[in-house]
Amino acid sequence: MAVSLTVNGDERSLDIEGDTPLLWVLRDELGLKGTKFGCGAGLCGACTVHLNGQPVRSCSTPVEMAVGGQVVTIEGLSDGDRLHALQEAWIEHGVPQCGYCQSGQIMSAAHLLANNPAPSREEIVAAMTGNLCRCGTYSRIIAAVESVAGSESSGGSQGGEA
Amino acid sequence: MAMNRRNFLKVSAGASGSLMVSMTLPGCAGIQTGYEPDTGEWRPDAWLELTTDDEVFFTLARVEMGQGTYTGLTTLIAEELEIQPERITPRFAPVAPEYRNPLYKLQLTGGSTSVATSWEPLRMAGAEARQMLVMAAARVWNVKAAECRASEGRVVHPNGIDSMAYGKLVELAAKEVVRGDIALKPRSEWKYIGKQRGKLDARAKSTGTAVYGIDVDLPDMVYGVVSRPPRRGGWVRDFNADQVRAMPGVLDVVEIERGVAVVADKYWRARKAQDALEIDWDFSDAVSLSTDDVFDSYRAAADDDPGESERSEGSFTSAMEEGDRVVEAEYAQPYLAHATLEPMNATAWYHGDRMDVWAPTQAPDLGRIAAARVTDLGPDDVTINTTFLGGGFGRRLTQDYIEEAAAVAYRIRRPVKVIWSREEDTRHDLYRPAMLHRMKGSLSGGELTGWHHQIVGPQILDWYVRNAAPAQYPWAPKFMYDTLGSVGLMAEGIATPKDHSAIEGAIEYPYQVSNIDIRHTHTDPGIPITWWRSVGFSHNGFAVETFMDELAHEAGQDPYQFRRRLISHEPRHLQVLERVARLADWQSPVPEGRARGLALFRSFGTYVAQVVEAGIENGAVRVYKVTCSVDCGQVVNPRIVEDQIEGGILFGLTAALYGEITLKNGEVQQSNFHDYPLMRQYERPEVVVDIVDSSEAPTGVGEPGVPPVIPALGNALFALTGKRQRSLPLKANA
Repeated sequence: MAVSLTVNGDERSLDIEGDTPLLWVLRDELGLKGTKFGCGAGLCGACTVHLNGQPVRSCSTPVEMAVGGQVVTIEGLSDGDRLHALQEAWIEHGVPQCGYCQSGQIMSAAHLLANNPAPSREEIVAAMTGNLCRCGTYSRIIAAVESVAGSESSGGSQGGEA
Repeated sequence: MAMNRRNFLKVSAGASGSLMVSMTLPGCAGIQTGYEPDTGEWRPDAWLELTTDDEVFFTLARVEMGQGTYTGLTTLIAEELEIQPERITPRFAPVAPEYRNPLYKLQLTGGSTSVATSWEPLRMAGAEARQMLVMAAARVWNVKAAECRASEGRVVHPNGIDSMAYGKLVELAAKEVVRGDIALKPRSEWKYIGKQRGKLDARAKSTGTAVYGIDVDLPDMVYGVVSRPPRRGGWVRDFNADQVRAMPGVLDVVEIERGVAVVADKYWRARKAQDALEIDWDFSDAVSLSTDDVFDSYRAAADDDPGESERSEGSFTSAMEEGDRVVEAEYAQPYLAHATLEPMNATAWYHGDRMDVWAPTQAPDLGRIAAARVTDLGPDDVTINTTFLGGGFGRRLTQDYIEEAAAVAYRIRRPVKVIWSREEDTRHDLYRPAMLHRMKGSLSGGELTGWHHQIVGPQILDWYVRNAAPAQYPWAPKFMYDTLGSVGLMAEGIATPKDHSAIEGAIEYPYQVSNIDIRHTHTDPGIPITWWRSVGFSHNGFAVETFMDELAHEAGQDPYQFRRRLISHEPRHLQVLERVARLADWQSPVPEGRARGLALFRSFGTYVAQVVEAGIENGAVRVYKVTCSVDCGQVVNPRIVEDQIEGGILFGLTAALYGEITLKNGEVQQSNFHDYPLMRQYERPEVVVDIVDSSEAPTGVGEPGVPPVIPALGNALFALTGKRQRSLPLKANA
């Protein structure tokens, strides 16, 4: 089917089976490899992107559900060389180990802060609990999110998010 | 005699599963060094490349899988080269003899050996290149080299004012010859080693730009998925090829050695076509075991065969006869999957006379063998391009996923990326072996007088040698590949080092006990196994440190004091034990509903003591806090040490609380994170990591955090409930 959607602010049109998960459209059709495949069942969160301002598991979101929608991926979170405050915090705190889950972690955190610029520790933990990290970077994730939460930049710079 | 044996064990303990013969091989292409005028590149050695544009590249021969080699090893060479680590661009190494891990004679990343084996060679390489640059500058200025110094990528004139960038000097430096030994910088002059600095790959990994195996993209690339036998050892009898070939986007359906590959223009189309694939499996050679059968076979083997003696001191039999009491326990541990977050994948492209492979692999030279096996190529015709790894934990030491991709590419003759689903990754893993331990301890008047440990289970080299042995002899003809493996195993202990994978962590039993009897009953039920973060230490740690706790309880002593008295002769053990007890305030009362457990365990040369504070909440085990003291010798990057120890603790807790792969009639019953769960953010305990300040040679940190946390948690649950759990995973309602 013909599919049109807005990805990181750009209108994209392609012809693809409507049941193809958004993940594979982003990665293989649009070349946005920052979003990762982890489980294919919405259990690990590595594939988290924003669809119309909500965090979704792109591995289990058929692209037909995103038609006409606004998608933001990790690549759309930064503004060129100017990174999102969370990305800066991730670097500052040295969060990533293998790094494979971190795009999804950052997208979950970005959604949290966009809607709740000063979350409590409990709210951060609750928002981040759907994202698995096999290396065990959880404490640095919390520290990085807390360093941004409540600061002026926490709600800003949401890329093309509607 | 006994003393010699123990000293030997200490030396070899870091070489978990060290492999085969130490022989320098003819016929391997080495790395070309020297200056290349056309490109302005100077390679002083196999590690560094400096250019006239003032760039510095470092060839990273230990892959980056989250354990921090990208930053840590770059820091080592930067320190002596006298340039900021951030100005160096690491590149993943091709296969070459220079890049072999000297402990294994293979180019592999494992055994927590990266810093330990790179510590001297990389600093030396940096120092030699720096010296050549300094000599070149001195020649230009007509001053003495000894009066010049290097700093932040420049050589500084004796006047302290003039300086020259390395890039301006590379052509001249290439002509310099360093004579004699160069003294490495003393600890007091280090600028980067041991200092808190950022991770060099953090930016790429926070912006989605780091390239993992699964991200490799080639022109004209297609996608492959593979259906493998649901029971190990099954063969393909027949399948509905024509029907699947007619599905949208399908380019081919091909049988490979153990399965059927569907190749399509898009990944999702390959998956949908795979759903329509019907395979008639031949299970005549297949495994039909269930988990209970595995443990029954272990118990039968243990009854039949006391096992090979791995360490014997004094007489355990006399100790039993003379003591007042013998305590016995049997521990059982399940198969465990690796569950790297990046599922297995590899991309291969067969050109007719050679093959290019891109893969997240811990052992690229074994990957060449794997690809050669299933093609008409020799290993030298296969190029392995290593990417970032989305987790390794030992899984990517075995090259089955490269072998499959190579077999598919050989048939398809265009670039193909084979991606495993999570379900396939879980069910077709090679597991941490299930193990059984039989323990006996003799007590006499509250003193521990005898220690007996019978380890029952398989050895990993039996499985691993298949591609590892040929990788050590890449010139050997392919028909010899399987023979090389068996020769290696037959000559174990004579021509080749012994396989310690089943006994490591048991034979180094550190406590002062006069009568020790440690044995291994070797039995293998035929379920594929491989290295898993901390390997034999992962199960022996639980056996040794749980039994020490049982004995302390039986002797009516505090578990901390009991251990402390028996370890007073081992200063580094004693230090971490005392530090952790102090930090965790061991003697203080615990909040209502909680209890503490302790474990002390050395692995990969690193000393670790941990105290776990745990309870039971809403019918589930809850870990509140883990306090850990670690002595890993000289620290290269404190943040990475903390990360690795904390990560190891969470990895161990995941195993302790959830880790269990079970079999039913030969089929693995778990598939994805709902039935093979990983610890989540909300369950994370507070972790305190205390690092001993030490100038001893550095030892590994990637694995040593894992083993002690499992018994420490079990010991805490015993303190809480009074019920001893002797099999894993641990339960709230045991």
